[in-house]
Amino acid sequence: MIARGWPVRRQRPHLEVAVLADGRELGAAMLRRLVIGQCLVLALHLPWMPIWLVALALGVAAWRYFQLRQRLPPAGRLVRLGGVAVLLGALWLQYGAMHEMDGLIGLLLGVYLLKLLETHDRRGARVVVVIGIIATGVAFLHDQGIAMALGALVALAWLLQSLNWLAGAPDARRAWAETGWLLLYSAPLMVLLFLVVPRLGPLWSMPQMDRASTGLSDEVSPGDIAQLSRSDARVFRAAFDGEEPATHERYWRVYTLSGTDGQRWFRAPPDELAATLGRSEDAFVREGRRSPWVDEAAGEGRFRAELLLEPDSRPWLPSLGTPLATDSEQRYLADGTLERLAAQGSRSLLRLESSGAAPANADTAGDAWNTLLPNRANPRTRALGERLWQESGGDKHAFLVAVMAQFGESPFRYTLMPPRLNSRHRVDEFLFESRAGYCTHYASAAATLIRVAGIPARLVVGFLGGERHPDGYFTIRDYDAHAWVEVWLDGAWQRLDPTAAIAPERIELGPQAVEGSAEAFLADSPFSSLRLRELGWANRLRLRWENLEYQWQRGVIGYQREAARSFMQRLGERLEAGYGWFMAHLRSAPWKAMAWLGGTALGLAGLTWLLCQGLRQRRWRSESAMLGYLQDRLVRLGLGPVSGETPAGHLRRVAPACGPAGEALRTVAEEYEQLAYAPLNEVERSAGRRRLRQAIKGIRRHLTKRRYRAHRTGAAGDDVAS
Amino acid sequence: MTTVRAGPSGAAAGEAGKREAGKREAGKRRSLRDWLGRRLTIAPGEPLPQRRLFLLPTRFGLAWIALVVVLLLFGVNYQNSLAYALAFWLAGLAVVVLVRAWRNLLGVAVELQLPREAFAGREARLRVGLRAVRSRTAIALVLDAHETTLPCLETEATASLPWRPGQRGWQLPPTLRLETRWPLGLVRAVAWVQPTDGLLVYPAPLEAAGAEHRQLGAGLDATDFAGLRRFERGDSATRVAWKQWSRSGILTTKVFSVPPRQQLWLDYANCRGSPERRLSLLCARVLAHHRAGDRYGLRLPGRELPRGEGERQRRAALEALALFQADSTGGSDQ
Repeated sequence: MIARGWPVRRQRPHLEVAVLADGRELGAAMLRRLVIGQCLVLALHLPWMPIWLVALALGVAAWRYFQLRQRLPPAGRLVRLGGVAVLLGALWLQYGAMHEMDGLIGLLLGVYLLKLLETHDRRGARVVVVIGIIATGVAFLHDQGIAMALGALVALAWLLQSLNWLAGAPDARRAWAETGWLLLYSAPLMVLLFLVVPRLGPLWSMPQMDRASTGLSDEVSPGDIAQLSRSDARVFRAAFDGEEPATHERYWRVYTLSGTDGQRWFRAPPDELAATLGRSEDAFVREGRRSPWVDEAAGEGRFRAELLLEPDSRPWLPSLGTPLATDSEQRYLADGTLERLAAQGSRSLLRLESSGAAPANADTAGDAWNTLLPNRANPRTRALGERLWQESGGDKHAFLVAVMAQFGESPFRYTLMPPRLNSRHRVDEFLFESRAGYCTHYASAAATLIRVAGIPARLVVGFLGGERHPDGYFTIRDYDAHAWVEVWLDGAWQRLDPTAAIAPERIELGPQAVEGSAEAFLADSPFSSLRLRELGWANRLRLRWENLEYQWQRGVIGYQREAARSFMQRLGERLEAGYGWFMAHLRSAPWKAMAWLGGTALGLAGLTWLLCQGLRQRRWRSESAMLGYLQDRLVRLGLGPVSGETPAGHLRRVAPACGPAGEALRTVAEEYEQLAYAPLNEVERSAGRRRLRQAIKGIRRHLTKRRYRAHRTGAAGDDVAS
Repeated sequence: MTTVRAGPSGAAAGEAGKREAGKREAGKRRSLRDWLGRRLTIAPGEPLPQRRLFLLPTRFGLAWIALVVVLLLFGVNYQNSLAYALAFWLAGLAVVVLVRAWRNLLGVAVELQLPREAFAGREARLRVGLRAVRSRTAIALVLDAHETTLPCLETEATASLPWRPGQRGWQLPPTLRLETRWPLGLVRAVAWVQPTDGLLVYPAPLEAAGAEHRQLGAGLDATDFAGLRRFERGDSATRVAWKQWSRSGILTTKVFSVPPRQQLWLDYANCRGSPERRLSLLCARVLAHHRAGDRYGLRLPGRELPRGEGERQRRAALEALALFQADSTGGSDQ
């Protein structure tokens, strides 16, 4: 080779190094395991993270591959720093700022991938695995669904398996078997800790995920494109305890929009209201578990619901009608809506008691605020409103009927794809020109008309409807978003839904039922499983999966502070009840109670015994196992074998020292040799094993430690005497 | 334990008795010195009992605890149930690993097989046999900072570890450490095995002296032609005198003679230098003369070994050198 003039290449490194001394180079097999682990962890993140991370992973893996084959040098400091610089640059291009959650996760993943470049020994490999476990935990920020949990379990198993290799696994079978046992044995511990450990509130604020894609906006203007109806993203799920609302009652209130500039309607949050009206914020919002705006004497709310809310970076909360009480501290607004204390980064559970109707309390902002209209906007609408008010002769009810009749009579139509409105007088443009629109158009027009007459009115945005699952809970999605009007009438707010006049099927059946809206409905979700509604079996499958997911979210993900506390409380009550029941029986029928207790104890003991027997059976399975067991006992008596001695030879040698058991030891030696070396058929073999088993059990009786000692001291005494 | 089992016979009996006494003596000295060690260690041969088995966290184990805390904080601050679950699972794993590591080492019996002979300062191989009823994984044997890992142990396995005894005379091998980080490497299960049997370590043979005397061994091969004898079955074909056969027709075999062996005395008084150097020199000469097949005797102050040859003479001479007390003026060693 050298004579031919080829450059002398160093020997290719040993590729399958299972056991590593510290400081030794990692073999290719171990690196491969680390890379696969990285890929699994990365796969958990990929649906949410930029795809170029895959390129980074491949690049790093390729470098290590060629380095092991001596075609590349080990990555020097320059290469590693370059890698970090590229990572930071790419993240900056992707996210702009690094303090966002997505950027931080990207940084973590990038460092995790790049770390492989400088992983040369066992310690480095362990660091890579630990970062992998952290990255697996961070993946739960994206999603906590069943699929994610299963994926994380696979990744965790792989990472543990690589740790087993690093701890010196001799082969894959042992590495995986040990991983399996570890996971199996620790799973009950995990479940126990999960249930028992009390949950704390957040200790300090962390950067939150920006997930504002769902939900409502707190200002609407007729004529903008209806985004929400195009998405099937889930907003929340609700399960009712007791009465369920009928289809036309499912008005989930989220925001009230009481300010308008003639083009759009916007929300006036408590702090802005307080600043505008020169009053303290306390007049508009209060924190607590019960609504301070509703009389306590009003009694319980009509509906009790458990809401499972998707994460959102804004603090809004839906309520069916007016919120009355919640199971945790929330902000109760004077307009009868509810807010969280802080944004919720992950799914959460909320128990809510609500009235199902518009609030009965007056808005603390006052009637003047709720009748405010810009003077110069929408002159034709103003004129129409004034005409209707005069025609009704000052009767508010008649006036409202007339307003609603407007939408019924004129050639208005309901569509999710209305023509775009862009004039200054939006309401005029809608009412007198386009006359096509959806809930927002009708609601804002109606509210404007009503305010013209000096009647307090406001827009309410929220959700209407929701899909009822066979198991009895509702899923409310983005496309269920709706807007309607509330009017102050007869000392209470009254719900008025102009959409009902133009498209009653929207109220009863949902947005997809509205004729001619099919093209816009779910326009942004071409692959949505909701498109399979028509297919019977597929729909059943979809419902079943959604149900499973719901139970998972509710039971596992929702197991937070309140749920954990109530679970522990219920458990305590159960135990207490059981104890009370037992004590009562002890007093009334002591014999029965004692018998019950004794029976339970006996049952448990029996179960334990059976379990031990099952474990013990193994030692009687083969003659070598039996002999190993016997020799083990002899070792404990200090009669162990010497090296180079056959088992039978060992037994024969120690037989004289064992007194009465000696003869049996010789028998065992004989039987064992027969079994081991004689050509026996299966019947003879099993008979031989039986004899061997019996002989060993006999020896075990004779050869307890005590008896052996007694025998020895007796023999020693004889020696002295002679 | 596993040294000489076959009972010594005849003339060797007294000598062997002395050996046993020396072994015990060495063992006693050592065990008095570190009684704590005795509290922690087991003797070879017995299965590891649970009270001699220790669990210590590794650095990685401490890092694991930190990892659990980090994930727990993560779960708390993000109110994330699955992060909680992951943290709890890792905590559960750590607990299970404690038991699994403990169980991996519990009940392992260690047999020590001392080397047949060892010279001070030279590497000797200590054979360690492990026995267990259940199968075990990745048990490391550590002797004086030298580590050997047995990847798996079904029922029996042996390993050999290097040992450099420092001094001549009766020496106990150092404490053997058994440890396992299996599984996951979070904890280390450790047990110490204290050898009970000592080994008589011979003085270090002086390298230069050995080389100087090697020529004495030249001529050990039978090379001088001594004559012919009648061919017998089994004689090597290369030794057959084919020329004579072609001439006379009688098959004969060439016979070579072995050069005469030396007969000599190795005398402590004839060597120079410190006593240890003299012993080293004598040791090297004993080895060289034994290789050469000479008859030699050994004179030490207060002790004289009559001339002899063969394995027994070699052993007697080396033992005399190993046990020689430099300051003894005479008679004390007898």
